[in-house]
Amino acid sequence: MVRPGYFFSETFSSLRRNFFMTCAAISTVAITLFIVGLFTVIVYDVMGVVNSIKSQVELAVYLEDGISSGLKDYIEQEIKSWEEVDSVKYVSKDQALERFKEQNEGSDILKEIEGNPLPASFEITLKDPEKIDRVALRFYDKDGNYIEGVNDVIYGKNYVNKLFSITAIIGVITIIIIAVLLLAAIVLIFNTIRLSIYARRKEIEVMKLVGATNWFVRIPFLFEGFLEGFTGGIISIILLYFTGNFLLIRAERLIVDTMRIKEMAIVGSGGVIIYVYIGLAVLGGLIGLLSSGIALRKYVKV
Amino acid sequence: MNMIEFRNVTKIYEDNTAALKNINLIVRKGEFVFLVGPSGSGKSTFIKLIIKEVDETDGSIFIAGRNICNLRSSKIPQLRRNIGCVFQDFKLLPNKTIFENVAFALEVIGKPVYEIKIQVSQVLKLVGLYDKIDSYPHQLSAGEQQRVSIARAFVNRPPILLADEPTGNLDPITSEGIMKILSRINLIGTTVLMATHDKNIVNSMRRRVVELEEGEIVRDQKRGVYGD
Ligand SMILES: Nc1ncnc2c1ncn2[C@@H]1O[C@H](COP(=O)(O)OP(=O)(O)O)[C@@H](O)[C@H]1O
Ligand SMILES: [Mg+2]
Repeated sequence: MVRPGYFFSETFSSLRRNFFMTCAAISTVAITLFIVGLFTVIVYDVMGVVNSIKSQVELAVYLEDGISSGLKDYIEQEIKSWEEVDSVKYVSKDQALERFKEQNEGSDILKEIEGNPLPASFEITLKDPEKIDRVALRFYDKDGNYIEGVNDVIYGKNYVNKLFSITAIIGVITIIIIAVLLLAAIVLIFNTIRLSIYARRKEIEVMKLVGATNWFVRIPFLFEGFLEGFTGGIISIILLYFTGNFLLIRAERLIVDTMRIKEMAIVGSGGVIIYVYIGLAVLGGLIGLLSSGIALRKYVKV
Repeated sequence: MNMIEFRNVTKIYEDNTAALKNINLIVRKGEFVFLVGPSGSGKSTFIKLIIKEVDETDGSIFIAGRNICNLRSSKIPQLRRNIGCVFQDFKLLPNKTIFENVAFALEVIGKPVYEIKIQVSQVLKLVGLYDKIDSYPHQLSAGEQQRVSIARAFVNRPPILLADEPTGNLDPITSEGIMKILSRINLIGTTVLMATHDKNIVNSMRRRVVELEEGEIVRDQKRGVYGD
């Protein structure tokens, strides 16, 4: 049997020999995977927001101030008669103000409000979220103006689309950055392995001469590459753990503020983060194995 | 039993150099064969074909009766474990002691530690270097270094030992010592094939001589001399 001690000592002396190259390779893997991890978590978050908006698809129909109760009742009856509608809830001006006060408790905004600027509204949920456009259109006349009594119609679609397009742009940019960094990481690990192969070329020659198997010759190099990639992965996890949480909280805040989304819509990445961590470590190891595999193919002939 | 057999073997390198042309040769078990000829005549290529460091262009090569031409690359290590190799430049590892250098050959084929200790000590006694066990290669003379490399080639007791100009870097007296060791290894049943263009050695040994010239066998003589 081959003693594992052999492989360990070979690998570590090699890592020591190429200290700076090794550091460069590990840091590049770490940064690459950190970005991959961050992006994954952000996408997951945004998807969460999108899904929760979709599932609650609520149509808010704001009414003109001073609408007659007859017209209000007429509109409500109309809405209830549509088959796509699941429920309709009337929110009066007073209820709206009450709700606003609750949501902004302790805020300076409250001091600035005089009277009640908030409109009354109908909040409509649908049986089938896909029909939301069709329902929304019924509040417009054929000239594109709101029908009598209606001041504004707001529904989640705008947020969803905005969110989608922002995510898509971030996604494309991130993927380009990741691709470039990934390539750099592979090249750097490849290079450290190339150097170790070069440093041990005499040993490799003797090994082949006396009949060491190809795997026996390769394993220390594969292990070295794996270790570099894996260490990079672990560092990326640590980075993500500390800065990632911090950044994500900011990002979520930003989404909440700019999109005017209810805070509860943010799902948070708590549950999946552990899988992201595992994924990063595995990915790091694979990048290392791949890079040293390429170097071995190129420099160690059978 | 035929230990090494070449049947119509031709080797043409990628750059179209014909190193060996239609070689036919049989080396029987326990023989000692000198492969002689001027530099560039194809001696090293002959040896590289046997250990599959290079592949023949045409013909077949049999080792201990087995055709090695279509040997899968995963089987090559097994072939090499049965063939010891010695070279002009020793190929010792400078950062390992004599013991470690020889033990290395067994370690990398997965021999257990206790077995390694016994076998390495035995073979170092055989080449007369047991007292240098803890020295490093640079502390040894060239002749001693070549004996270490023979020890490494033979430590696994292969049935075949190939030597490519093992005395090429050595003075005549040191070379004689190397030849004594190779003879001793041959005497215990090992088939030895030695490529050389050292006239004195060949003439003093009176063994089978196969002469190559521009890739062709021009002479195969039983108790031969170097010629001219
Ligand atoms: N790897 C190679 N590529 C191309 N030509 C080679 C190679 N190795 C040897 N040769 C050529 O093959 C011929 C035989 O070389 P070699 O077997 O080394 O002869 P020797 O060992 O007798 O000096 C020479 O002409 C040499 O230049
Ligand atoms: Mg030669």
